[in-house]
Amino acid sequence: MTTLAEPNLGNGRNKGLFNNMTGFSTLITVTVLLLAWLAGFASRLFAVIRFESIIHEFDPWFNYRSTAYMVQHGFYNFLNWFDERAWYPLGRIVGGTVYPGLMITSGSIHWLLHALNIPIHIRDICVFLAPVFSGLTAIATYLLTAELWSRGAGLFAACFIAIVPGYSSRSVAGSYDNEGIAIFALQFTYFLWLKSLKTGSVFWSICTALSYFYMVSAWGGYVFIINLIPLHVFALLIMGRFSQRLFVSYSVFYIVGLLLSMQIPFVGFQPIRTSEHMAASGVFALLMAVGALKYLHSLNPKGQWKQLLIVGGLVSAALVFLMVVFLTYMGVIAPWSGRFYSLWDTAYAKIHIPIIASVSEHQPTTWSSFFFDLHVLVCTFPVGLWYCVKNINDERVFVTLYALSAVYFAGVMVRLMLTLTPVVCVLSGIAFSILLDLLLREDELPAAPVEPNDKNLYDKAGKVKKRAPEPTTQADFGLGTNVRSGVLIAFMILLMLFSVHCTWATSNAYSSPSIVLASYGNDGSRKILDDFREAYGWLSQNTADDARIMSWWDYGYQIAGMGNRTTLVDNNTWNNSHIALVGKAMASNETAAYDIMTMLDVDYVLVIFGGAIGYSGDDINKFIWMVRIAEGEHPKDIHEADYFTEKGEYRVDSEASKTMLNCLMYKLSYYRYDSGGSPPGYDRTRGALPGNRGFKLTFLEEAYTTEHWLVRIYRVKKPYEFNRPRLPLAKRTIQTSLTMSKKTSKRRKGVLKNKPTLVKGKKLSKL
Amino acid sequence: MMPAMAKLQFCVLFLVYVASQCGGANVDVVSSAITVKNVDRTIDISSQLVKINSKITFENTGKSPVKSFLLAVESSSKSKLAFIGGKDSNNKDLRLVETTVKGYDNAKFWRVDLKESINAGSTASAVVETVYSKALQPYPTAITQQEEQLVKYIGNLYFYSPYPVTSQKTNVILNTKTVENFTKVKPFSQLDGTIAYGPYTNTAAFTEKELLVHYKNNSPFLTVTRLERLIEVSHWGNIAVEETIEIEHTGAKLKGPFSRYDYQQDHHSGPASVRSYKTLLPASASDVYYRDTNGNISTSNMKVKKDSVELDLRPRYPLFGGWRSHYTLGYNVPSYEYLYYSGNEYLLKMRAVDHVFDDMQIDELVTKVILPEGTTNIKVNFPFSVTKLPDSLHYTYLDTKGRPVITFSKNNIVENHIQDFQLRYTFPRILMLQEPLLVVGFLFALFLCVIIYMRLDFSIHKSEHPHKD
Repeated sequence: MTTLAEPNLGNGRNKGLFNNMTGFSTLITVTVLLLAWLAGFASRLFAVIRFESIIHEFDPWFNYRSTAYMVQHGFYNFLNWFDERAWYPLGRIVGGTVYPGLMITSGSIHWLLHALNIPIHIRDICVFLAPVFSGLTAIATYLLTAELWSRGAGLFAACFIAIVPGYSSRSVAGSYDNEGIAIFALQFTYFLWLKSLKTGSVFWSICTALSYFYMVSAWGGYVFIINLIPLHVFALLIMGRFSQRLFVSYSVFYIVGLLLSMQIPFVGFQPIRTSEHMAASGVFALLMAVGALKYLHSLNPKGQWKQLLIVGGLVSAALVFLMVVFLTYMGVIAPWSGRFYSLWDTAYAKIHIPIIASVSEHQPTTWSSFFFDLHVLVCTFPVGLWYCVKNINDERVFVTLYALSAVYFAGVMVRLMLTLTPVVCVLSGIAFSILLDLLLREDELPAAPVEPNDKNLYDKAGKVKKRAPEPTTQADFGLGTNVRSGVLIAFMILLMLFSVHCTWATSNAYSSPSIVLASYGNDGSRKILDDFREAYGWLSQNTADDARIMSWWDYGYQIAGMGNRTTLVDNNTWNNSHIALVGKAMASNETAAYDIMTMLDVDYVLVIFGGAIGYSGDDINKFIWMVRIAEGEHPKDIHEADYFTEKGEYRVDSEASKTMLNCLMYKLSYYRYDSGGSPPGYDRTRGALPGNRGFKLTFLEEAYTTEHWLVRIYRVKKPYEFNRPRLPLAKRTIQTSLTMSKKTSKRRKGVLKNKPTLVKGKKLSKL
Repeated sequence: MMPAMAKLQFCVLFLVYVASQCGGANVDVVSSAITVKNVDRTIDISSQLVKINSKITFENTGKSPVKSFLLAVESSSKSKLAFIGGKDSNNKDLRLVETTVKGYDNAKFWRVDLKESINAGSTASAVVETVYSKALQPYPTAITQQEEQLVKYIGNLYFYSPYPVTSQKTNVILNTKTVENFTKVKPFSQLDGTIAYGPYTNTAAFTEKELLVHYKNNSPFLTVTRLERLIEVSHWGNIAVEETIEIEHTGAKLKGPFSRYDYQQDHHSGPASVRSYKTLLPASASDVYYRDTNGNISTSNMKVKKDSVELDLRPRYPLFGGWRSHYTLGYNVPSYEYLYYSGNEYLLKMRAVDHVFDDMQIDELVTKVILPEGTTNIKVNFPFSVTKLPDSLHYTYLDTKGRPVITFSKNNIVENHIQDFQLRYTFPRILMLQEPLLVVGFLFALFLCVIIYMRLDFSIHKSEHPHKD
């Protein structure tokens, strides 16, 4: 962003030069926003340029698959879609268990483009949707910040959010996930909320509700909005900032938003039945009570009403609270879900829901990742927050609450860094705007009247260089020229470092499709390891159409998306016991696993094995989570301690525990694995020689292993196939007559029904 | 004026005549004047195809000059016949017309019209090339990863001819010494991957005797089960070709497990599997892409040669017997090499099917030609008989009424079918301006709307404070 060198911003002062200041600053605003859009879009294309236009990772594959389904079969069929290819034998009602906003968005773009005869494949739309929406997010952030502070701060914020790694981590090209569009919806909803709060107009409130509706349809994070806005209202009430505008905007937003959000099949009646949504209802009831009391107060504005107001407010708040508690107790309202508890107690998930804890993005955030994702903004945003608190008004109360809650959530879970990023950008934009405001004030002509309200002084730092050398007439007015130029240069460098860091982080950390791996040779040549698609391609072409693939849930969406085969468990981890069953099969020995696999009609087993190339995200490294999840459901059969050595180490070499060396996952990973490092069969990921080698499989056979051993697929033998004990001929007895039932004696072995009678010399007319 | 009845009668007669001309094929008789003096036959079964090259010398033993002769293919193999073609002694192509002979309903006949008739007592020679696909049966039908692939060829020991043959020789080229079993009818000799039969003298017309060779054949048994070739012609100087290919290894099926370890350790492991194959594209091909539904297939190499672009295509996984794969291969060629015009008349000359791999066999080919919008008077000449599918319209960028699409299909294609088709059409050149004008017009209208909108004031009342910056 630091490279946008507009010749002269005008700052609304040089009225002699530019007659139409509105037009000029609009031009600059539009230009900066467009360039922010462009830069944000371009910085997200690393994966496409390095690899290809491809859907990344895991969840995006499901989104892409359902989008493709919707485009092919129509919206209503999509809503009614029962996916029998997932969660075999349970199936999954996709339409009712998905936030359809993402699919509808890209589906409508696809429809529009095809109506204009632009034949773009739906995959390309899906790949580029998130980068395009990052530009919209930048605009929404600009609007939000402009509402909060000034347009200059807005432009800063827009430029920040366009490239900040914390947001681009979830919105690079190919990362086709809910978050990509949800952050736009989030920012836009907040902007509209502030707008409606400022104006008190029903129009803006309805717009807020509509935007909220879009957010609900797009991401489960809408709960953040429906708790933050009531919190804001509540805070305003406590601060005594009740106004008719607040009353109108919140009540309209709440009612319309509630009704709209219940239209999403996946959300359904949750907004009135679960604890997560009760804050909004409670605040609504409270607001109504306060409004009524205020009205009564306005009828007779005498002193004694004041106490009544306060007491009445408190009583109604207590009443609402007790009501919610009572309803929860009665079971009308569902209590907090486990995922929600894990937000308050970081150790909760580890103990009660291992499946949540097993996901790396659900871990608590480290300090370094704050800096990595936000860079300089993490230091400057408290400044903006401080200024907001200092110059408080209704809107700034909101952004303060937003910032505080987002910081908390981001600290709890790495994944929620995403909700923190926008507010950090907003506040940093404000901070930078204030800074430049301070440093550049003396540059104005002495005659120019200083308008205290005119805050949109600066859009960017580029022009400063030109002005800094100018001699200042009022050197005694606050800061000296040298100090100012020094500080300016320092901040310029900071911003430059920021943009360099953003590009670097996006390019190196977040732009890997993770289904295509690249390795670099000593001479810098690049080698692409395409094992995942090799395996999925093999599955899709060379197995029966209804073949059922058992794998760990991480790969469920990819198998369905790329291999188009039935899976047992996938990334929509809705059924813990089913996942535990798969985990149990992986953790048991071959015989026990075979029983589970026949019970589940498994045809193929797919495991990821990184030992040959040193890929660390493979199944053996994830295996301990499979054991934990399995133990949670089957504590009698699986014991986590069995898989560790006596010293409590997790290892695979000859010192590993016996259970470990004989479990299915171990065997499938190391079956006939003899290539790799210098001693044959050396596991490069664990840096160890496997402890159990040269074994044979009884119930499975290797069906396919990819070129770098990354994906191994085994076929589960049918009961008649595996090695039965060979009986000597004399001992073989074939029972025939005993099993025959009297009733069906006509259907004896070797007898044709309606057997044609052959007469020699006559042609057979009909068989 | 004809009376109505007579008119109707005439019509009916005419229709019957037309029907008989169209429906009933030509009927020929086997001329007794011709004998085949000598046949030199080469049966090449070293690849997955059976390529039979017969050098035939005819003799006119009758009185009058003979203008044509008949070729026959036995009933057992006529369904596998992919291609038949003939050349005369001057190496010029002969014209073959499909025909029937009364009394031999099972066999298939072609009448070859000679440019110069054979005079009584003189001889003429011709080279006939026939290609059969799927005539080699893997036997055993399923093998393990380490085993060699054995196939069985069952053919005719004698040249199948409607005329008596005085002398004939047959060479069977196997390119391998590993022969399990073969028909032994003296005289014969086996030498370095070739089995020579004959000479046999005086075989009667339509003689059939089984020739069986059971031998090792590890050449790639790949069948393209379906190839869809899309040719998009643009008058802006580019022709885009895209081929969607479904491919299957139709050799002996893989039995038992696939072991990556064996496959990696031992280079001779999986002798019957196909790791990669070469596709030749036109020399001017550029912007080549090779992908499937999951994205690019990153394992391929491209070499630009003088007369062609050679692609070394590696499927995502090696193909063993019974394994399938599919991919899309696309490239651009400049249109000046294939598109000729004079005024508004255009002629497109392109291959109806192109090389996929050596000794390819294609079960089903569908070729689609997308012509520019506004094309009329489309006439196509095919080099071989095809099934013409109904024309359709294709919509792409900036189209208003759609581009005409010519579609035709053919089954059982081999390399000999790589021939040009010719497509003539009329395209008013002024229509080239349509698309740029459409864009210009749209932008103009857009700006005009914005200009008008900016100058209109829809507000009900003037706002109190003028719009603050």
